[in-house]
Amino acid sequence: MNGNAWEAIWAGRELLWNGLLATLALSAVTIITSTVVGFLVGFARYSRIPVLDVVLRVYLELFRGTPLLIQLMFVYFGAAYLRLDWVSVFIASAIAITLYQGAYISEVFRAGFASVPPGQREAARTLGLSRFHTNKDVVFPQTTLVVLPPLFGQYLTLIKNTVLASVIGFSDIVRQGQAIIERGANSFVVYLVIAALFFAFNYPLSLLAGALERRIIRKRGVVA
Amino acid sequence: MNFLNYIELFISGAWVTLWTSTVAFALGLVLGVLVALARRSRLLILRTIGSIYVEVLWNTPVLVQIFIFYFGLASIGIRLPAIVAGIIALGVNAGAYLAEIIRAGLGSVPRSQLEAARTLGLAPAQTFFNVVLPQAIRTVFPPIVNRFIDLILASSLLSAIAVNELTGAARRVNAATYETLAVFAFAMLFYLVLTNLVSLAASVFARYAFKPAIAAPVWFRFRLRGSRLVDQTGLSAGAKSPRAQSKGDSR
Repeated sequence: MNGNAWEAIWAGRELLWNGLLATLALSAVTIITSTVVGFLVGFARYSRIPVLDVVLRVYLELFRGTPLLIQLMFVYFGAAYLRLDWVSVFIASAIAITLYQGAYISEVFRAGFASVPPGQREAARTLGLSRFHTNKDVVFPQTTLVVLPPLFGQYLTLIKNTVLASVIGFSDIVRQGQAIIERGANSFVVYLVIAALFFAFNYPLSLLAGALERRIIRKRGVVA
Repeated sequence: MNFLNYIELFISGAWVTLWTSTVAFALGLVLGVLVALARRSRLLILRTIGSIYVEVLWNTPVLVQIFIFYFGLASIGIRLPAIVAGIIALGVNAGAYLAEIIRAGLGSVPRSQLEAARTLGLAPAQTFFNVVLPQAIRTVFPPIVNRFIDLILASSLLSAIAVNELTGAARRVNAATYETLAVFAFAMLFYLVLTNLVSLAASVFARYAFKPAIAAPVWFRFRLRGSRLVDQTGLSAGAKSPRAQSKGDSR
């Protein structure tokens, strides 16, 4: 690589910085929203509410059986088709990523709730705890340990998935990288820099997920 | 319903999706086995190379990997056709995930079995092919099929480098008809059919291939895609997830 490649990137550092912030903003927002959606859907599935259960299974099948990219296009271009002007690229991306990742996260929570032995629930109800308190004070606290490692794994996937928003035009780090390339920067170097930035964020997260998982194995002796 | 006039575009797109994912998957399997063996090797250097490969590919987005193989390599003088670069990128990426699944599968065979095989006088190759492999394949099969399904879905990213697979076809039909909602919904339907066919074929195959089926009824009812959430983070996936998952899914 000659010096020019780095100079062009250095000249475009502000663009890259803005792109990084956009990626982080989209990640932060969707981590929160998809966790909320995932928790609610996971809990509803765990509670097996008759009609809702069928609806939610269709939702899961639909969003886990089709690519995120096409979901993004469906939401973004679809909103334009319906003339919903308030749906910006950011909002469309956030909606699609939330629904997609929420579907996966709901399975994490459902598995977590299911890992609490039914006897705990029965005992709590027998002792006179209300349904609400049985869930809040008996079931939920016991799931945190089990749920955390796969949840962090999902966050990792989510952060990587936010780059798909660049395909429909969201000015995230990949999009800004492309802008720098158009100004003459070497694309090999630019994409390596972007990959390195993702690695810098994701590697600690995956180490954390691994450490949490080993803690469960230590505490329970098995993989939950 | 003008978009139905373009049905052959969807069908040829689906075909491109299917064969590119299959070729990429084959490449991924070869890489996965090699990397899994490297990570179990006695040589530190091989283990290090194996873990760097897995960590780098796990922690960076596939789209960026595809761009590196297509635009990046072209800018340093290696010009590959989009579809070739895309298949290589997807295969290299799948290799990292498959390596961890295969490694977990090989590790799931209890040590005592190896010792017993040695005591009975089996050669190392016999031990591997007659004792380890038949058992490892059973635990490894469902997560590997999940990876193939994920690969079919991930191949939609090839539309970003102008490969005319299913998503690319949907974009073209959308540009021609402006029936946005119907077009993308129809493409999604294609993906659902494709992934469910693979899932079904795999569970039928598993039922007949792995005899005597230790967990036969569970195998059949078990929706293969159920264990996905486990193999996202991980490692311990193979062995435990199918049965643990099937409890919830086989209602």
